[in-house]
Amino acid sequence: MSMASTIEWILVILGQILVAIGVFCDLAAAILMLRFPNFYVRLHALTLGSIGGAFIPMIGAALIAAGSPFLGFYRWFMVGAAIVVAVIEYVLAGAGTHAIARAVHRSRAVEVYPKIVDHLEEDRKRGEMS
Amino acid sequence: MDLETWVTNFIMIAMFLYIAAFLLYTVRIFKGPTVPDMVLAVDALSYDLAAFLVVLSILFRSPIMIPSALVLVLWAYALDIYIAKYLEAREMGE
Repeated sequence: MSMASTIEWILVILGQILVAIGVFCDLAAAILMLRFPNFYVRLHALTLGSIGGAFIPMIGAALIAAGSPFLGFYRWFMVGAAIVVAVIEYVLAGAGTHAIARAVHRSRAVEVYPKIVDHLEEDRKRGEMS
Repeated sequence: MDLETWVTNFIMIAMFLYIAAFLLYTVRIFKGPTVPDMVLAVDALSYDLAAFLVVLSILFRSPIMIPSALVLVLWAYALDIYIAKYLEAREMGE
């Protein structure tokens, strides 16, 4: 086995490990999205699905593409585009989740039902936060 | 086994697990008791669909599928911001 072929196999195996982690996180997030009791707890499932289930397999796909010469002339374009999409998704998933969680809590669109304490709500009632 | 067969087989197996996860997300979209729950499920579905497109572009050897994943991610973010703005201000913005 030549040197270039060995490097290609290492890249592909590393990428496949990342894609396998992503598939596992994705299935776990889908099950938890069904099993968790309310909106605020489901935010955890969304984070698992968007970072573990989307960001990590995109990086893995970039590594697989870097080690696959059968993809032809455009394989380095695929590597770069996959990394760009992964980084943009990493930023936007967190920002969007924060925006919608803040809006839901301020507008009381969802009742915080199985709860022990909600300090943000108490501060808002005392007038310390708008 | 050569590299091409190995990669193709791996992605074929991963494809079915992804589709199972998409079906579970769809159940939450239709069941979701409130609108924010549905939005969460649609978000997770869109982000994972984008990752699925990036992985499928290796299987189909077509680099044109990756920019469409970028568009999908941006639309999911726009949906988040629109719903958040509507819930806070009761208007969609001009």
